[in-house]
Amino acid sequence: MRLSLRPRLLLLLTLGAGLLGAGPAAAAGIAFAIDSAAASISVVDMARQMEIRRIPALREPHHLVLSPDGKDLIVGDTVGNQLLFLDPATGDIKRRLTVADPYQLGFSPDRKWLVVNGLARNQVDVYDAATYKLVKRFPLSSMPSHLVYSPDSAMVYVTLQGTDRLAAIDLNTLSVRWNQVVGKTPAGVLWNNGKLLVAAMGTDSLSVVEPADGRVLGRIVTGKGAHNLFHSPDKQIIYVNNRVAGTVVALDAATLKPLRTYAVPGGPDDMDFAPDGRIWITLRFAEKLAVLDPATGAIQTIDVGRSPHGIWLNPKAP
Amino acid sequence: MFAPFDLAAGWVQEHLLLPLLYQLGWMRWEDLAFGWALFAVYGAFQVAITFAVCMPLEHWRPVERWPDAKAVTVDVLYTVISRVGILPLLTFVAFYQIQVALNGYLTDHGWVPPTLELLFPSLIGQQMLTFVLYVMILDLSEYWRHRLSHMFGWWYALHSLHHAQRQMTFWSDDRNHLLDEVIGFLWFTAVALLIGIPPMQFPLLVLLLRFLESLSHANVRLSFGWLGERLLISPRFHRAHHGVRGAGRGSRNYGGVLPWWDRLFRTADFSPDYVPTGDPSAPEALATGGYLMQQRAGIGRMARALGKPARPDAKRSA
Ligand SMILES: [Zn+2]
Ligand SMILES: [Zn+2]
Repeated sequence: MRLSLRPRLLLLLTLGAGLLGAGPAAAAGIAFAIDSAAASISVVDMARQMEIRRIPALREPHHLVLSPDGKDLIVGDTVGNQLLFLDPATGDIKRRLTVADPYQLGFSPDRKWLVVNGLARNQVDVYDAATYKLVKRFPLSSMPSHLVYSPDSAMVYVTLQGTDRLAAIDLNTLSVRWNQVVGKTPAGVLWNNGKLLVAAMGTDSLSVVEPADGRVLGRIVTGKGAHNLFHSPDKQIIYVNNRVAGTVVALDAATLKPLRTYAVPGGPDDMDFAPDGRIWITLRFAEKLAVLDPATGAIQTIDVGRSPHGIWLNPKAP
Repeated sequence: MFAPFDLAAGWVQEHLLLPLLYQLGWMRWEDLAFGWALFAVYGAFQVAITFAVCMPLEHWRPVERWPDAKAVTVDVLYTVISRVGILPLLTFVAFYQIQVALNGYLTDHGWVPPTLELLFPSLIGQQMLTFVLYVMILDLSEYWRHRLSHMFGWWYALHSLHHAQRQMTFWSDDRNHLLDEVIGFLWFTAVALLIGIPPMQFPLLVLLLRFLESLSHANVRLSFGWLGERLLISPRFHRAHHGVRGAGRGSRNYGGVLPWWDRLFRTADFSPDYVPTGDPSAPEALATGGYLMQQRAGIGRMARALGKPARPDAKRSA
């Protein structure tokens, strides 16, 4: 059966336990990983590093986000056209909300807006975060994939994977401020030191973009198929997942100089950070999570469902 | 239990498709590519299983023995194209755009395609039951598509490619005109807009259903018995549809997996004979031509059917 320990995993855990004996103790809590091609959400015991339960979604969930009040873990079921509201401590489904094509989603830092990208339907929807009422729909060509807000919540920036563009939406006037070509097949986008970093998946680099007008100021080479990027919790380091190269590259967030390259095969995609310093990464094509220790480069893997995509850790969960 | 297939698809994606897409500058399609990889790996396994079971059956109790089985070769090509290769690729890439445009247009006008679970909320969480209901509804919809394809002259001109085979074997299931496949896809899209697409949690069940469809074409004296014949479609039951009297209008046994619809709509023929197959009205190219020749002959027959308002098979209906 799916959830039983396989001999290989058992061996890995035994080895892992042996190695961990000397190192820091593994974090407690649970991890939520979305199995996009299995229409489910895997719940993983972070301490034992194994899947303990699967929550059925509807069709094809991809990403998830914690509500600003921390009470709901919101999963976007893209093909099922709904948002699932989960209890972040237990994973119980509390309610469902019909929303067209929720692929990527994120709340603004001021908690006012929820922006939902419809990748398949070429639309970016701006919702009132308090009521979940649609405020405005922006048809944007094409394939809106990732998003990031400016720290003052005045703007949201959306990568348009199909047309090599980045669109800037002004949330005060609810209008598109600019829409510029930034690099081939842009995916992940991050606000860093007053600039935007865009992972151009069709290339081996990040584009550095001026948030005021969308000008490309420079490129940072990270590896083939640069797909997604994240700040470490202390914001000192940026981790970049390179899909084709099968690597994770650590950049100095201040200088954007590469610090270290980790081999992470299996299609690294989303990541989250555990309190023990280790990084949990979904491996899209390997049906696994990778748990990377950035200090040593050691990787442990955890079996989950088909095509794991979004991931969120709740170290405080019982 | 899916893991070996999923991991094989992941390997294909990571080591073959991704580097290719990257080289070609098509990284935006990487998600679709993985969908296709999964489909193709399951399809290849499906073909292998069908071959392993049906080949011995056809040797054991063949209905017909042929001095040479040259006409079977093209059916092997149809099977590979449809279950592993080109057709799923077209469905995933070319039709993806049509679906997106259509769905986008409809959601803009307030139509979010529902799912069976949303229409009947008590189904939520009952994944197996939901799947079985989807199978029944889709099988019913296929019954009517098939029945209509026998009623309209121009449509039957295309479908007669399926019927023209006089050396029918388990390979014959996928022998369809490309245009007929396109119509079938649009038909499915329309149904999906009404009740959603079935959840893909059970790829092995899909595999079993496709296996039954292949088996029903096998050149084997195999009936499922009085009760079995009324529950699932057997080789004997579907052979009656392929019999020379089953060509064109006024056919019988239109069902794909379940014979229930034929009973309900009074088109079932449970007589115990194993009849010779073929369509005497079809041009010889449809029966024994190569792949391209059959495709051309199908178009030609359709053009002639559209050219004259008379029933194409009237000459045979006496
Ligand atoms: Zn027919
Ligand atoms: Zn048939």
